[in-house]
Amino acid sequence: MALLECEDLTRLFGGLRAVGNLSFRVDDGEIVGLIGPNGAGKTTVFNLITGFVRPSGGAIRLDGRDIAGLKPHAVARRGVARTFQIVKPFPGLSARENVTLGAFLRHRTRRDAESAASDVLEKVGLAHRAGVRAGELNLMDQKRLEMAKALATSPRVLLLDEPMGGLNPSEVDAASDIVESIRKAGVTVVLVEHVMKAIMRISDRVVVMHHGEKIAEGAPSSVVQDPAVVAAYFGPRGR
Amino acid sequence: METFVQSLVSGLLTGSLYAMIGIGLTVVFGVMRIINLAHGEMVMLGMFAAYFSQKLWGIDPFASVLVWAPVMFLFGMALYRTLLRKIVAGGELNTLLYTAGLSLLIANLALFAWTGDYRTIILPYGLTPMRPFGIAVPAALALGFGLAVAITGALWAFLNRTNLGRAIRATSQNREAAVLMGIDVERVAVVTFGLGTALAGAAGVLLAPSLYLYPTVGELLVVKSFVIVVLGGLGSVPGAIAGGLLLGVVESLGAVYVSATYKDGLGYVLFLLVLLYRPAGLFGVGKS
Amino acid sequence: MTGRAAALGWLAGLLALAVLPFLVKNPFLVHVVILVYMWTVLGAAWNVLGGFAGQVSFGHAALFGIGAYTTIILFLKAGVAPWWGILWGGLAAAVGSVPVGLICFRLRGPYFSLATLAVAELAKLVALNWEWLTNGPVGFLITTLPPLTILGHAVNWEAKAPFYFLAALLLLVALASTAWLSRSRLGAFLVAIRENEDAAEAVGIDTVRAKVLTLALSAFLAGLGGGFYAFYFRYVDPDAVLNIGLSMEMVFIAMVGGLGTVGGPFIGAVFLTTIGEVVRERFQVGHLIFYGLFMMIVIRFLPEGIWGRARIAWARVRAGAHRHGAA
Repeated sequence: MALLECEDLTRLFGGLRAVGNLSFRVDDGEIVGLIGPNGAGKTTVFNLITGFVRPSGGAIRLDGRDIAGLKPHAVARRGVARTFQIVKPFPGLSARENVTLGAFLRHRTRRDAESAASDVLEKVGLAHRAGVRAGELNLMDQKRLEMAKALATSPRVLLLDEPMGGLNPSEVDAASDIVESIRKAGVTVVLVEHVMKAIMRISDRVVVMHHGEKIAEGAPSSVVQDPAVVAAYFGPRGR
Repeated sequence: METFVQSLVSGLLTGSLYAMIGIGLTVVFGVMRIINLAHGEMVMLGMFAAYFSQKLWGIDPFASVLVWAPVMFLFGMALYRTLLRKIVAGGELNTLLYTAGLSLLIANLALFAWTGDYRTIILPYGLTPMRPFGIAVPAALALGFGLAVAITGALWAFLNRTNLGRAIRATSQNREAAVLMGIDVERVAVVTFGLGTALAGAAGVLLAPSLYLYPTVGELLVVKSFVIVVLGGLGSVPGAIAGGLLLGVVESLGAVYVSATYKDGLGYVLFLLVLLYRPAGLFGVGKS
Repeated sequence: MTGRAAALGWLAGLLALAVLPFLVKNPFLVHVVILVYMWTVLGAAWNVLGGFAGQVSFGHAALFGIGAYTTIILFLKAGVAPWWGILWGGLAAAVGSVPVGLICFRLRGPYFSLATLAVAELAKLVALNWEWLTNGPVGFLITTLPPLTILGHAVNWEAKAPFYFLAALLLLVALASTAWLSRSRLGAFLVAIRENEDAAEAVGIDTVRAKVLTLALSAFLAGLGGGFYAFYFRYVDPDAVLNIGLSMEMVFIAMVGGLGTVGGPFIGAVFLTTIGEVVRERFQVGHLIFYGLFMMIVIRFLPEGIWGRARIAWARVRAGAHRHGAA
């Protein structure tokens, strides 16, 4: 049984079909890349899975149990965490306080939550900046914080929405390392990304979306050569 | 049937003036995202301006709108420049609370200066109702309606035909893009606030002959103006017109068919329903 | 503040609280202090929702009014002693706040504030018109209070002292609840919601539940204040307990004192009551003019409130002392 699966998932916004009959599965321990041109519906898929948007049709299952339509906090409680494309920290609070808030989901007392938060901060490489106000961190550290907040909720599945956006090549490598270490720690990852270098390096499998539908799926190397995928990115004439 | 038509017409006439108040509030929100809780007091000031200019100088209220509207426009601009500009930078919550304080200040200064006595404006021609199509229409209300239509028409022309008007609409739709297009959004903000104040004041002048005047009337009006603006969609001028007319009709029909005492309550209930189920307004054109 | 200093401060405050009526004999002054305590409770009530949770309500008078009416109706119609009635008033307001919260919390920011305004105006309309329940615009009047003996002494309801101690008790309840909230998990969740509501949901915080619980606490405190009002002033009518001016005064106290702080409402209440009395002395009317003016001044120049700014300044002084002292 798949850890996370979408079946015939659809979302309409008025006349616009943002996501249409999308089906894919994610197995335990995988890193699945979700790619596609801008406007393909990738973030909408994340919003649907995590409850920020209700599906117009179809099913979303975690461990076989239906989670479609649940409120975001309930989805997080079930074990699906996410980051946002444009980071959403708690700006007036320190990095440590930010992550502690995430840890409160699984730890009742402040002390336990803070200690769990410290571990997570180490993992993402923010331990030395833990006392800094989130609003004052630089972009790379804000991205780390965004991941840390989500990790603190001890998720089964982590949805990363363009974590590499705006990072330079060495930062992309550092971020990729973090994602791989997350998987090694037992968390399944679904990664929306435009930075192909990262996708190619860390994904086990890639799902390609275009106009809200799945147009290809498979190993990273084969997917990027798929003519439908090339057409989606570069237009029907191809290269 | 005659009662129905009578109330409907009466509601539409009052509604037109409500619409003006609503437009004033909605343009300010659209451009600056300010929820101005002192808006009701601007109407009140217009009302008293009309009252005093008639009492002291014998000027007919409807004529006086030609003077008071520009005065209120300048007053609004001054208010924004001196008091509000710095607060807006502090965020929505602070601005909300600041305008709440301003509302308290103005209403109570007025109360102090003019006492809470109810006042009315008596017009010599106001007593004879006009009877178009056999419907009794109070002359004051009809005149108010006519002028409201004229002013709203002028506003429409301004917003759609002049550069400044277009700049206002652009800033209202997308502030960042407006800045990038070279629009001086600060100037737009000042002018818009002046415009909103002028509309409120003019509505007050036009309403004055038809209502009881007292300094704290703003409290009642500000809630009504929010009902209108939410009904029509925050930021939408046509929405405010529709919302104002709708509220006028709901109140008028409600007073006759449901209950006179609860007629204000109907507005509030409608308001809550719209906020809950269609926060973008009945016509879905407003911003959330 | 260090733990020891804070504890000493609280102890000193408690002591002052306990002995004041024995030291101050002027009944008018005691009356003013009672008012300060009552307004602190009300300011703290608003602060819980507005300062900690960041939800600005302009309708808190409705909760105050529910408390006042519950207390006075229970006494006049069911013979429930007012000192218990106050508790019922708080509970009634808390219970009443739940459906209101479930409706209004679907809205965010200014939409929420406007909804609370509408709800409060509706409450006033109901109080004016449901005469079978509220006696309409006539209201209720308590003419005689029930006898009570404490420790062998009959309580003299004509004196200020019994009301003083009751008000002081309510004050302690309010301050203790606020202090608890600021340290609790719920308090941390409220900060998260205030900072970024979407992010709070994303990390598993049930934002609606947190807001509803907070509103219930806020309502409870406001209801207690209302119940006390009914008991002390012995007269309740829609204009006295459900007018929007009351809601604004609660906002004012919390803002001037310092949003989201524990001590802020007390400072705000002292400020408001002093100004109110001074203005009443000099000008008879128009104290609301000064409330409005001061609200504007505070927001413009002291957005953290008086207590809030004092805390920041104090923290800076200590940080400076540390740097110098450590050398």
